[in-house]
Amino acid sequence: MREKEFLRKRYGAILAYTGLILALSGLLMLLPLVALFGHPNEAKDASAFTVPAVCLGLPGLLLWGIFRPFRPTSSVTLTIQEGGVIVVTSWTAVILFSAWPFMASLNMGFSHALFESVSGWTTTGLSVVDLTIASQMILLWRSTMQLAGGAGLAIIMMSAIVGPTGIGISSAEGRSDQLVPHVRQSARLVLIIYSCYASGGALAYWIAGMSAFDAVNHAFAAVSTGGFSTRTESIGYWDSTAIEAVSLPLMLLGNLSFVTAWFLWRGKLRPVARNGEVRLGAVLITLSGAAMFFLTCQTLYPQLEKSIRVAVFETVSAITTTGFSTVGYGNWNAFGLLLLIVLMLIGGGTCSTAGGIKQYRFYLLCKLLTWEIKRSFMPRTAIFERPVWVGSRRVFVDDATVRQVVVFVFLYLATFVFGVMLLCACGYSVGDSLFEFASALGTVGLSVGVTSAQMPDAVLWAEILAMFLGRLEFVVVIVSLLKLGRDGRLMAARTPKGK
Amino acid sequence: MKNNLYIVVVGCGRVGAHLANRLSREGHSVVVVDTDEASFNDLSPDFSGFRIHGNATEITVLKETKVEQADVLIATTHEDNVNLMVAQVAGKIFGVSRVLARVLDPKREEVYAQLGIETVCPTSVAAEMFLRAVSNGVAPQEGIQP
Amino acid sequence: MNVLIVGGGKTLYFLCRNFTAKGYGVIIVNRNREECVQLARQLSGTVVCGDGSDPRILKEAGAMGADAVLAITPNDQDNLVICQLASIRFGVLRTVALANDPDNAEVFEKLGVSAFSTTQIVGSLIEQRASLEQITNLVPVGEGRVNVTEIVLDVHSPVVGKLLKDINLPENALIAVVIRNNQPIVPRGANDLLAGDHVVLITLPENHGPVLKVFTGEKK
Repeated sequence: MREKEFLRKRYGAILAYTGLILALSGLLMLLPLVALFGHPNEAKDASAFTVPAVCLGLPGLLLWGIFRPFRPTSSVTLTIQEGGVIVVTSWTAVILFSAWPFMASLNMGFSHALFESVSGWTTTGLSVVDLTIASQMILLWRSTMQLAGGAGLAIIMMSAIVGPTGIGISSAEGRSDQLVPHVRQSARLVLIIYSCYASGGALAYWIAGMSAFDAVNHAFAAVSTGGFSTRTESIGYWDSTAIEAVSLPLMLLGNLSFVTAWFLWRGKLRPVARNGEVRLGAVLITLSGAAMFFLTCQTLYPQLEKSIRVAVFETVSAITTTGFSTVGYGNWNAFGLLLLIVLMLIGGGTCSTAGGIKQYRFYLLCKLLTWEIKRSFMPRTAIFERPVWVGSRRVFVDDATVRQVVVFVFLYLATFVFGVMLLCACGYSVGDSLFEFASALGTVGLSVGVTSAQMPDAVLWAEILAMFLGRLEFVVVIVSLLKLGRDGRLMAARTPKGK
Repeated sequence: MKNNLYIVVVGCGRVGAHLANRLSREGHSVVVVDTDEASFNDLSPDFSGFRIHGNATEITVLKETKVEQADVLIATTHEDNVNLMVAQVAGKIFGVSRVLARVLDPKREEVYAQLGIETVCPTSVAAEMFLRAVSNGVAPQEGIQP
Repeated sequence: MNVLIVGGGKTLYFLCRNFTAKGYGVIIVNRNREECVQLARQLSGTVVCGDGSDPRILKEAGAMGADAVLAITPNDQDNLVICQLASIRFGVLRTVALANDPDNAEVFEKLGVSAFSTTQIVGSLIEQRASLEQITNLVPVGEGRVNVTEIVLDVHSPVVGKLLKDINLPENALIAVVIRNNQPIVPRGANDLLAGDHVVLITLPENHGPVLKVFTGEKK
C-alpha cells in the first residue's frame, strides 16, 4: 500500500499548515479584547473569547509542532489540490470556533451563531444579531472576522516567515494573480495595501463624524467589502453625506483587484485604464446609478440631494458586494430591486475582497459576444485571435479559459435558482427570495428582511451554504471535499493480508 | 545569499527550470523567459515567479522582464549565441551587476572570458569531474570542493 | 580583398555574385549541407559547411586571412557572436552584422559591432516612395547619415524657371547634378531649372522633408 504511506506523508504536511492557520486565527480571536480598554464593564464576557481562542490556537500549535517535519522539502511541494484541502478544512474549523463568542455572550443558538460567523468570515454582512444588546467586543469581533476573511487566511499565513513558498494555497483561495515575482513578497504587499486602506478608512470615518469605535469597525467592514455595521440601520443611521462620501472610495478600493491597486500605487495609470474589468465597472456603475436615480429614487425620495445620494450609494454597495445600506427597501419599486439583484449577481473585481460572479468573468462573456459577431463577418479561413489586457501584458483568451468561465457561471446561476426555489418553498415571495439569495451567494449583505433571527432553519442553512460556496468559489470546495472523501476511504481501507 | 534578489532566468529548459524552482523556493523574485510556452510546464507548483513567453534577443521582450531592476541575470538557453548576446546586452546596456551565461562550446568560452563575461561551461566542468573521478578512483560527486 | 560571409538565402547569393564580379576573394559559411552544395555549384568562391559562430569553423574558413567578415544570418545572436569572434579571436578589421530586429542595430553598435538593419532601410525606402511619386531614387550613403535623392521636376514645381542662386535651400543641402535630356550638368548659381529636369540632391535626414518641399511645392 505505497499510496497509503505516500498519502500519510502528504496529509502530515496538510495538517501542519492547517495547524499554523488555526494557531494564527486563535491569536486573532484575542483581538476583540482590545475593546475592554474602553469598556471595562464587559470583562466578564472576556471568557467568550479567551476560551475559544485557546481551544483553537493550542491544537493548532500542536498540529504545527507535531507535523512540522512533514513539511514539503526542497524536492516535494504542495499541489493546488492539497492547498484546496487546507483552505476548506481550516476555513471550516475557524468558522466553527468563531461562532463560540456569539453563543457564550449572547446566548444564541448554534445555527444562528454559526450564521453570524460565516457571514463574518465570508465578508457577506447579513446579520441575525440584535445589535442593541451586543457588547462592544462582539461588535469588534464581527468586524475583525470580516477584515481577516477579506484578506484571506492564505495571505495571512503566507506572510508569516514559516509559510510555504508555493502558490498552491493562495490559488485555492482565489488569489492566483501575483503582484511581484514571489508569492511571499506578494502576500506581504497585499497585506500592506490592505492595512493602509483600513487605517486610512478609520481615520477618514472618524474625521467625518463617527466615534472612534464606530470608525474602526466600519473601516474594517468597508475595505473588506463585508458590510457589518455597529448600527441596525447600517450607514443610514448617520444620514450624513460626508460619511457616505468616505464609504464610497473605501468600497471601490476593496472591490479593486489588488494587482490593479498595485499599479495605481506605483503611479502606472495606463494598465489601469486598459483593464477591461475597471472599464466595465465604471460603465456599469455610471449606467446603473443613473437608471436607479431616474426610475426609482426620484419618485421615492423627493429631495434631489437625497435621491442622488441613495442612487449612487446603493449602486456601489451592491456591485462591490459590500452591503452597507442607507435606506430600507420596503417601498422600492420592482425595477430598483431587480437592478440591485443584477448588480449583486455580477459582483466585484477578481482577486479582491468582493464576491459575486466577478466583473472579469462578466467582461469576458460580453467580449466573447462581440468577438462572435465580429467573426461572422470575417472570411471563413481567417484566423481570429482574442486579445485581452491583463495587467500590463496582452494575453490571448484560449478555449480553456472560456470553458472555465462558462462552467463557473452555470454553476453559480444553477445554485442561485435552486436557492431561490428553496426560499420560495419556505413561503417567501419571488422578489424577496431573489434579492436575499443573490445577496447571500454573492456575499453582499443587503437584505429585504428575509434574514432575521426568526427565519426558518432551512433558509438559514441554505444561506450559510451559499455564503461559503460563494466566497470559496465553488470548485475548490467541491474538489477538496471529493479529494478528502477519496483519500479518506483509501487510508481507512484494510491492508491486504499479504503485505 | 542576500534575501530576495531579483533574478531573470533566460531559457526554461532543464537547467533553467531547475534553477528557477530552487531560487523561487529560496525566496527570490524570479522571472523566467522562454520562446516555448510548453517549457513552463517544467516549473514546479512551488514556483511563484513570473513567466514571460518571448525571445530574449529582442529588446522589447527583455524590457518586459524589467531587467534594469534585476540583480542577477542567468542566460541558460540551449543556444550559446543567445546566451552570450543576452548576457552582454543585460550587462553592458542595462547595467545588471551580475550576469552569467551558459556556454556549451569550450572554444567559445575562451574568447568570451576575455570580454569579461562570466561563463559556465558544462562541457568543461563535466569533463573535469570525470577526469578527477578517474584519476582519484573516487565517485565524481566526492571530487567537488564544498 | 578577402571577404568571409556567413549566411544564406538570396541575399547571400547575389552579394557573392557581386563581390566576385568586383574581383574579391569570397568565402561562404553556411550550416545547411544542401544549400552549400547549390552555392558551391553556382558560385566561384569557397563554400564551407558549418556553424559560423564556432571558432573552429571560422579558423578553417580562413578568418585569419580575411579582410572583412559579414554576418547576415536570420538570427541576431549568431550575427553578434560571429562578428565578435572574428574581431577578438581572429583580429579581422572590418566586421558587419545584420540586425534583423531594428532595435538591435543600436545595441550592437554599443557592444562594439558595426551593424545595419535591412528592415530600417527597406522600411524608409517604402515610406518615402509611397508618399512622393516624384522621388525615384533614394540611396543612403555614409552609413545612413547622408541621403542622395533624385527628383523629377514637373511643370508645377515652384523652382521651375528659377536660377539656382535664387532658390532658397535649407542649410546643409546641395544640388549635386541636374540631368537634362540625358545630359548631366554640374550646376552653378547661374544655371536655371526647367520642367522635366532630373535633379540629384544631397540632403541630411533632418532637412530631407523641407528640402523636398522646396522642389515639389506644398504637396503632402
